[in-house]
Amino acid sequence: MFRRGSYAQVASGSTGTTQPNSIPSQSGQFVRLSNSGSIMLGTGILGQSHHARSIDADGYHASMSNSLGRSGPAPSYTSQMSHMGGYGALQDGGAPTFFVPSYLQGSRYAEKLEEEHKARIAAYREQRSSNSSNAASLSTSSSSVNLHKPGHSYRGLAHEIIERAPSFVDEPIVSWPTRWDERDKYPQMEVEEDGRLAKFAGAGKSAHDEAAAIRADHPMPRQCGIYYYEVTVVSKGRDGIIGVGFSGSKVPLNRIPGWEPDSFAYHGDDGLCFTSTTSGKPYGEKFGTLDVIGCGINFHTNTAFFTKNGRYLGTAFKDLKPNMQYYPSIGMKKNNEALRANFGQEPFAFDIDTMIQHEKAKIQQEIVTLRAQSKEHGSTDETQFIQGLIGQYLAHDGYVETARKFAQEVRQEAKALSPDGSADVSHLQTEEDIDAVNRQRIRAAILDGDIDKALKHTNAYYPSVLRDNENIYFKLRCRKFIEMIRSCAELNAQLQPTIPTPSSKRSTASTLNKRNSTATDEYDFEMELDEQLGVHNGAPWENEDDEDDDLEAKQKKLGDLTQAMIEYGMELKQEFANDPRREVKRALEDTFALIAYENVRESSLAPLLETKGRVPVAEELNSAILVSLGKSSSAALERLVQQTEALVSELADDGGPGAFINVRKDFLQ
Amino acid sequence: MSSSTVSVSAPTPTQHHPFQRKVDEVKPSKPDIDFLVMDYLISHGYPDTAMEFTKEAGLALVEDESIEARVEIRHAIHKGDIDTAINKINDLDPQILDKDPALHFALLRLQLIELIRSCTSAPGLDITPAINFASSQLAPRAATNEVFLKDLELTMTLLIFLPSTDLQPQLAELLKPQLRQEVAAKVNEAILISLGARGEARICALYRARLWSEKQAREAGKDIPAVMPLGLEPSPVQSNGNGEAADVMVQ
Repeated sequence: MFRRGSYAQVASGSTGTTQPNSIPSQSGQFVRLSNSGSIMLGTGILGQSHHARSIDADGYHASMSNSLGRSGPAPSYTSQMSHMGGYGALQDGGAPTFFVPSYLQGSRYAEKLEEEHKARIAAYREQRSSNSSNAASLSTSSSSVNLHKPGHSYRGLAHEIIERAPSFVDEPIVSWPTRWDERDKYPQMEVEEDGRLAKFAGAGKSAHDEAAAIRADHPMPRQCGIYYYEVTVVSKGRDGIIGVGFSGSKVPLNRIPGWEPDSFAYHGDDGLCFTSTTSGKPYGEKFGTLDVIGCGINFHTNTAFFTKNGRYLGTAFKDLKPNMQYYPSIGMKKNNEALRANFGQEPFAFDIDTMIQHEKAKIQQEIVTLRAQSKEHGSTDETQFIQGLIGQYLAHDGYVETARKFAQEVRQEAKALSPDGSADVSHLQTEEDIDAVNRQRIRAAILDGDIDKALKHTNAYYPSVLRDNENIYFKLRCRKFIEMIRSCAELNAQLQPTIPTPSSKRSTASTLNKRNSTATDEYDFEMELDEQLGVHNGAPWENEDDEDDDLEAKQKKLGDLTQAMIEYGMELKQEFANDPRREVKRALEDTFALIAYENVRESSLAPLLETKGRVPVAEELNSAILVSLGKSSSAALERLVQQTEALVSELADDGGPGAFINVRKDFLQ
Repeated sequence: MSSSTVSVSAPTPTQHHPFQRKVDEVKPSKPDIDFLVMDYLISHGYPDTAMEFTKEAGLALVEDESIEARVEIRHAIHKGDIDTAINKINDLDPQILDKDPALHFALLRLQLIELIRSCTSAPGLDITPAINFASSQLAPRAATNEVFLKDLELTMTLLIFLPSTDLQPQLAELLKPQLRQEVAAKVNEAILISLGARGEARICALYRARLWSEKQAREAGKDIPAVMPLGLEPSPVQSNGNGEAADVMVQ
């Protein structure tokens, strides 16, 4: 898969021996560095102690060496960062260029890659802002970054990344080709324009069949189903000895693709297509300057095709090896030959989108045909099965009233249908489930933000659940704290427009904010608490002339709320401060960072306050209660989605029909 | 908040299969599942349930003006009151039946079956209404369509054999409530499509995608468990003692 030494592996799982919650899947993520020749050694390989030093060949990858500074979550973050170098982002300081080829838009594969990319950008931005505030930009020498005290400025960065893109926990997703690979070319090939333009720059008078080839940076991904790229012949030189196609990673680069085993190409000088031999077979026309040649592989059928100026030329190769990784590859032989690649950065000349649509439609048709077949057995099976799914989901998730109404309506339907007016609804669970009622009550309480009520009910009905699921208990406690901060912020916002805040106060507050946002260090926590207290409590007395009683009452309430919130916070901190688990520490840090802001709603932490944050806690508790009752934690309907998604992804990985299905887009929206 | 979740899964027979881990790793989002349910309730016409669901799950109310009419139409077809159903469909949009001759024919045939059923329910009743209806309403449509003609001929043979408790299967099919259910579902779909909505609920497509993908995966020799139960609690009728294979999706 990864074939060259220029890939540096950064095993970033941190010290697995001391951190039970490290992210093992992060290890084995290969990191591609932008500057050729700089090779990193693995730093802190999973399960080993931190003894390896990273060798920083050019002193550029400051972030890399930083990973040595601490053992926390930082390594996974740095690995993302250095990966970005592969996009050429660190040099120009801008965001890495990311593109989705038009025909892959909306595909599950593109979605996954995009999620990963967004997380990387977010990490990059945070890293930059964090760095600049600490006067250690990327361009400074690595040593200055190394000097940072462990645990100081990179608080929580890595887990932020993971939270935003859960897909990181999975195997890293390999990108589609994005450019010609400067480290995977014959020396006489030159690469320009961000890796898009490749041209022959040799003497031109070398050995007889000496040529120069180059491969792209990533293999053509099977999970595309069909992969396609194009090249424009910028200049064909004198003879136009140009080959466009693909080859395996070990194919020698001193020959035009097509002449060697495992390489396949369509040649411009004779219009023939070649594989494994120097004698081609008739295929298309010759091509030359300004012609656009497209090359695609259908991984479902293991065939390859070419296009010329937007015209499909038919199948060129059959029986491609299903287990081989093929890289886009081109070869040239003479001076003044130059090709520009389009890996999807621009619209294609050939209407590949329609070809993909056609494949998708074919598969949807297959699925519909299945419907026709199942109809022959009678649609009642399907109808009843689906009614069963719906009914069980409603009961399972504690939608008691809804479940009751559903059973009622289904019964009415069955009655109308049956000749003797009897209703068979045996496929629905109709018996009252006292646990469902309780669970619904608990869920509703959490969704309302009334955590105390949820805790009370849970302890009353399912005392073992919180005991056995300490992490859920902890999350509920944190959520309660967040709810308290929420109410404070809400009340504060109500008061805000009516209180003429003295300008001096405002400026203190804003400087306070500024400082807090850059150095949300938990060591400052208590001090900030006091300041925060001062701000809120001080306000009413400064506005004594305010005539509104209601306002005063509100002020009083805000003071009380704030007081209660802080007391609760201290309690929470005391209870969990010594908890060794990393996720507990993180959650505590995050939650407490919230009080550092005067106006939390405008801070970067605002998402933590959103009410939708209640949903996962509610669901987790619901699942735990179900498990404690010996029931499955997920409803059959969820299983149906899970199984479908897993099966489809199984059918997509090797380029099978699953590549053309996006379960969420196609069936859940 | 931390996203780390503790995986809590009840023991299932397939737990140890590596594929099961992949299944467990998929985390369907609650809003997606709620959407599936809501979409089903609306498109298959369960307005009271849908209303209750918006309340209990805290969802936004989905407006669907046709739902009441669709429920009434379905009810009418299920009861065998096809005349009412056709009138109501035409009230909604006369184009629906005009554009779909097969659907119109299916409805008229249901009506014919009901006429035959009633005029053969006792010996000595007049069968001319059925014959008149067949020749005026169905025969002109069947004249130009092979399939319609066959269907009509088959239906007319009911006149000969009814009343009887021992019909050949092909004829017995015509009297089963499933036929009404099927036609009602088709009508519902047609109405939805005429309103620019998706014809069938997403959950139906998902269900078949699940069947399809398992079939494909088995054909491709993928390493997946022999059975993949969904965990639907077996209903009393289906219960087979061990309570696990009852809900295996069979094709």
